[in-house]
Amino acid sequence: MPTALLVTSVVNTIQIGSLYALMALGITLTFSVIRLPNFAHAEYVTVGAFAALIVSLSGEVNPFVIMTAAFVVGAVVALVSHLAVFKPLEGRNVSLYTLILSSFAVGLILRYILFMMADYFNLFDTRIRIPLQIIYREGPLILTNVFAWVAPTSIVLVLLLTTLLNGTPLGREMRALANSPSLARVIGIPVERVKNYTWVLVGGLAGVAGALWGLQTAVSPLMGWVAILSVFAAAILGGLSSFSGTILGAYVVAFSENTVMLFLNFNFGVDLAYKPAIPFFIIIVVLLIRPQGFTELFNRGRDLQR
Amino acid sequence: MINIDIGATAVAVLTLFGIYALMAISLNLEYGVAGVPNFGQALFVSIGAYVAGLTYTRLLPLLAGEQVIHPCRQTMGQALQLRSEIMAAQPVAGFINLAITFIVAAILAGLVGFAVSYVTLRLKEEWFLALVLLVGGEIVRIVVRGADDLICSHNGISGVAQPFYFLDDPRASAVLFMLLALVLAAIAYFYSQRLVHSPFGRMLKGLRENEDVTRSLGKGISLARARIMLIGSMIAAVGGVLFALNTGFVNTNDYVVTLTLDIWVMVVLGGVGNNRGALLGALLIAIMDRITQIAAIVLNMSGSPIEFNYARFILFGVILLLMLRYRPGGLLPESPLTTNAHEVLRRVQGR
Repeated sequence: MPTALLVTSVVNTIQIGSLYALMALGITLTFSVIRLPNFAHAEYVTVGAFAALIVSLSGEVNPFVIMTAAFVVGAVVALVSHLAVFKPLEGRNVSLYTLILSSFAVGLILRYILFMMADYFNLFDTRIRIPLQIIYREGPLILTNVFAWVAPTSIVLVLLLTTLLNGTPLGREMRALANSPSLARVIGIPVERVKNYTWVLVGGLAGVAGALWGLQTAVSPLMGWVAILSVFAAAILGGLSSFSGTILGAYVVAFSENTVMLFLNFNFGVDLAYKPAIPFFIIIVVLLIRPQGFTELFNRGRDLQR
Repeated sequence: MINIDIGATAVAVLTLFGIYALMAISLNLEYGVAGVPNFGQALFVSIGAYVAGLTYTRLLPLLAGEQVIHPCRQTMGQALQLRSEIMAAQPVAGFINLAITFIVAAILAGLVGFAVSYVTLRLKEEWFLALVLLVGGEIVRIVVRGADDLICSHNGISGVAQPFYFLDDPRASAVLFMLLALVLAAIAYFYSQRLVHSPFGRMLKGLRENEDVTRSLGKGISLARARIMLIGSMIAAVGGVLFALNTGFVNTNDYVVTLTLDIWVMVVLGGVGNNRGALLGALLIAIMDRITQIAAIVLNMSGSPIEFNYARFILFGVILLLMLRYRPGGLLPESPLTTNAHEVLRRVQGR
């Protein structure tokens, strides 16, 4: 495998892995704190990307403003879906399948509203308008300002979220809720408020992930949906409970999709069309053989134990 | 405005109803009765469709005594022409081919369903099965699409004609195909009604309600799950064959998670655990499908800037949410099972 290809694929792994980490932490957090495998998470990402796109089309070029808009819109959509759909269902003590199904329905509705909107305003296949510059060039390695935005921003956000979870009162309450909802309620944790904050965080970070995703590829109503199972693969590698495990899982998934895929393609002639199957294989293998994922690799004391 | 041919529309809706009914009955047996969360229903439907794609291109020319032309790449047009010639001139070959398609599809899907159910034994949490099935369906889709020669990867195979294509009158052939779909759906319905009211059906419901209690009564639950997955998958595959014949082509893009969700909407709308509910859900969805299609065409022609085709999905999502929240049992909720013993008991008590 030529070095140029290897270097590019590793750069892609870092960039995409960081985005996966940002999204997968949201999945892990909702699964632990809210107890919902949320497939609508994909659409919070897409919604954020569209919010960023619209703000950037209005002439704004400051990435901070764009990302703030994506955060706000993603957070609002997530909170509304919680208040309108998931919370009333939780109150009725329904089965997990009902919750999964309703998260699919929420995603479906959001996705096709975005389709309608994109169609009406002619927003298909547009990029978020940030001028592309090359900031670093050394042999085969070319880094653009997109990479400079995507990777560091997601890594910083992931670190912030981890700190929030491990070092703040809100984080402690979330962990308590993840550990045992009834016990959390008994010791006086405002459960509903903590849940609302969780949704805001999860949706907002998904929105930012969408905005960053829209910097590197075109924004489309399907972008979150296409990525969601890769993101689930990352979260499952983290045992759906460990933050460190999820982050590691995100890079493992991105690495398999980029570097390993190219390696297989180059040396064994495996067609690139099989690339989307990689995260699926990861999901099945992990669920069957090692459902705890990477959790045992890390100190479990500070994670979201269930 | 466009003219809507009421007769043709009714035939199309009823054909679709028959096909959807097979899929909904299958999911109702698996999820509604036995509690197996099959989020990979598209996989079992697609097995039927892929088998149809294979038999119509490879087996049909052999049965008709013609040479098999490779269906993909340059010879695509020739192969398509050969197919339609055979279907028009040699109905017997067409019927034999269809029968073999049904049998092969049902056996293959049944085996996959049987094998998949054993996966449950190894899973840590119950909902993982839903994820494994969902993901399994996607893997099969990607592999089939990636394999160039199976069903011509991205292009798919067209000219999977329905068996009454040889008739001169297209309306008559459509009506006959509708009858075929309805008869198969009726067989599936009566069979599953019998199954639900049999001791095996009662055991499945027990399994759905409480696994430990069922096991404590000495029932082998993993074999029961495997059996219902086998039966459900076979029915779904028959639906898949008809689905492919009805659309006229086989393309992997039709068998995505969205199809699975459509089938779930039918079951949740009609009534979880009730076969009549599955029929009602299938009928309502078939009607809604057609109405949204017509509305989209009418709106497009009247120059509306809104693409109404997307509204179908939003509508289905809203239906699903409303049903789950306000009528989780569906429009026709499941009624308690009664056996002869109940009858006797009621008579004794009434006296």
